[in-house]
Amino acid sequence: MTFIDFLNLLIAAILLAGIYAVMSVGMTVIYGVMKIVNLAHAGFMMMGAYFAYELYQRLHLDPILAALLAFPFFFLVGIAVHWLLVRWLPHSDRPTLQSLLLMFGIWLVLQNIGYLIWGNTDRSILTPRTLALVQLGPITISSLRLVVFVAAVGCMVVLEIALSRTWFGRSVRALIQNRYAGRIAGIDVEKTARLTFGMGIAFAGVAGALLATLYSFDPDFGRPFLLRAFVIIVLGGLESVSGVALGALVLALVETFSILFVPAEYQPAISFGMLVVVLVVLPGGIASLWAKRRRLA
Amino acid sequence: MSTAALAPSRLEARAKTLLPWLLLAVLALLPSAGLGANIIRLFFITFVWVTTSLGWNLLGGFTGQVSFGFAVFYGLGAYTAALMIDRGVNPHLSFLAAGLLAALASVLIGLPTFRLRGPYFAIATIGVSEATRVIMNNLAITGGASGFRIMEHRPFRQVEHYYTALGMAALAVAVSFLVMHSKFGMGLRAIKQDEDAAADLGVNPYAYKLAIHAVAAALTGMAGGVFARYAAFIYPQGVFAFQTSVYILLMPVIGGIGTIWGAVLGGVVFGIVEEQLVANFPELHLLLYGSLLILIILAEPDGIAGLLGKLFRRLRRLTRKNGVHSGSRKADEVLRRVGRG
Repeated sequence: MTFIDFLNLLIAAILLAGIYAVMSVGMTVIYGVMKIVNLAHAGFMMMGAYFAYELYQRLHLDPILAALLAFPFFFLVGIAVHWLLVRWLPHSDRPTLQSLLLMFGIWLVLQNIGYLIWGNTDRSILTPRTLALVQLGPITISSLRLVVFVAAVGCMVVLEIALSRTWFGRSVRALIQNRYAGRIAGIDVEKTARLTFGMGIAFAGVAGALLATLYSFDPDFGRPFLLRAFVIIVLGGLESVSGVALGALVLALVETFSILFVPAEYQPAISFGMLVVVLVVLPGGIASLWAKRRRLA
Repeated sequence: MSTAALAPSRLEARAKTLLPWLLLAVLALLPSAGLGANIIRLFFITFVWVTTSLGWNLLGGFTGQVSFGFAVFYGLGAYTAALMIDRGVNPHLSFLAAGLLAALASVLIGLPTFRLRGPYFAIATIGVSEATRVIMNNLAITGGASGFRIMEHRPFRQVEHYYTALGMAALAVAVSFLVMHSKFGMGLRAIKQDEDAAADLGVNPYAYKLAIHAVAAALTGMAGGVFARYAAFIYPQGVFAFQTSVYILLMPVIGGIGTIWGAVLGGVVFGIVEEQLVANFPELHLLLYGSLLILIILAEPDGIAGLLGKLFRRLRRLTRKNGVHSGSRKADEVLRRVGRG
């Protein structure tokens, strides 16, 4: 492998990490505030993909623009789902199997609504931008991936600002740290949970719309990405937004560079294998490595 | 309490012990009733599903460890039996081997994943089952993604398949019953309620989970093998599919998680509904089950069995009120007071 190859792979990995971060961060905020493992995330990502597809087919709307529109749309969808179903779950400070199964049921319903409407043929969104390339000396970059990366980083920056500068963000961070203390401090837990759920689903929709520009999709679209999102949020320590960015980068690097060692047909097994290994070996995420060392020192 | 007041409940208890045997007898005699091949097939498939449902229920229902990975055992069982039967081994021996291999796999999977708890275990099992499917899709011995056709050097007799599956389902019920009423089963229930408390009481949760995982996997693997012999053609995207794991999980949850009859009921309902819906509306099938799952989680955690139980009790109360027992009601009241006094 030459240095140029290495550089190409590295850039590809970083571009991939951007979209990975957006697709995982929604799960992280929902988990952090509500302690719900959102399996339905996959279903909402799939819906986001078809949202962009329909807007492009019917109104010839640019998919990147559709991804931006997906945010308010799926925010409202998320709030509706929370109001209809999720809020009836018993409150718990640990993830419960009940909530896991409920989210799984919602995923099943979404997925099969998808099959009812769009059938099981693969769809894709092809724009003039899809195959365009940017040449930077010896390095070749897909311009679409670059655009998606920029959009993804934009999303993360907006989220970071929302979490650090607004009252809502402050209550989200408080509830992630400690629910009881948050409640004592006068935070409306129910309202924050509702908004957080809406935001998590909104990010799923945006991620789905962005992913739809890169890959072909069918109603089972979200599943492999769901597992990757799990790996990422576990790597990131489950509850931190900056951890998600780190986890996304690690997974993207591992996936991209494993092409050199693992035959292509076994490629999908990497994230699944990694999921199990990471859960068992590093349940506290990457940050726990430092924490452990600090404790030892 | 007098005998008069006890009589109905004693009768009920006797009926409860007799009913399974009666059911078994009826099912054993069924093929001689001259039913069509289609009906027999429906029963066969239902027995296979009931077995997997009971298997999952041992781990998910009794022990509270929800797994999304039972397709691994189902698929491994199917391929083990298929490869052995294809090489001329006695089918029933191959089913046993299928169960054993699935149990072995369950230990290998359980050793790392049972270090995780609750939802983390559930998520890890998704990873395990997806990884297994990818590997099986590319292995040479299984024929890869194009599937595996089983050549059995014996004439096909549907009734034989029927009895194999019936025997297997009966075995699954018996195993569930034995586990439920043993000290081991009590340990499992303790783990479900509170793992730390169970550990304090001298139950080793890790070992208990590994053991029940193996039993559950063995039943599921056998079911896979029995199904493979009947289907005569299997492929990784079928038996190892995430969908298969989903089916195996949905049946006991919808039927009534943690109870034997709930799991059986779930398998039966699933088998019949699948038969009616899948052929015509495959999407509606899972749409229905997804909605049912949501309803059951939010409204009736004990599933269809719990719902039926409630209905039954309400019905009995109604018949009492409406004077079926009106003659003895006053006497009951008096006797109860006497008994208390």
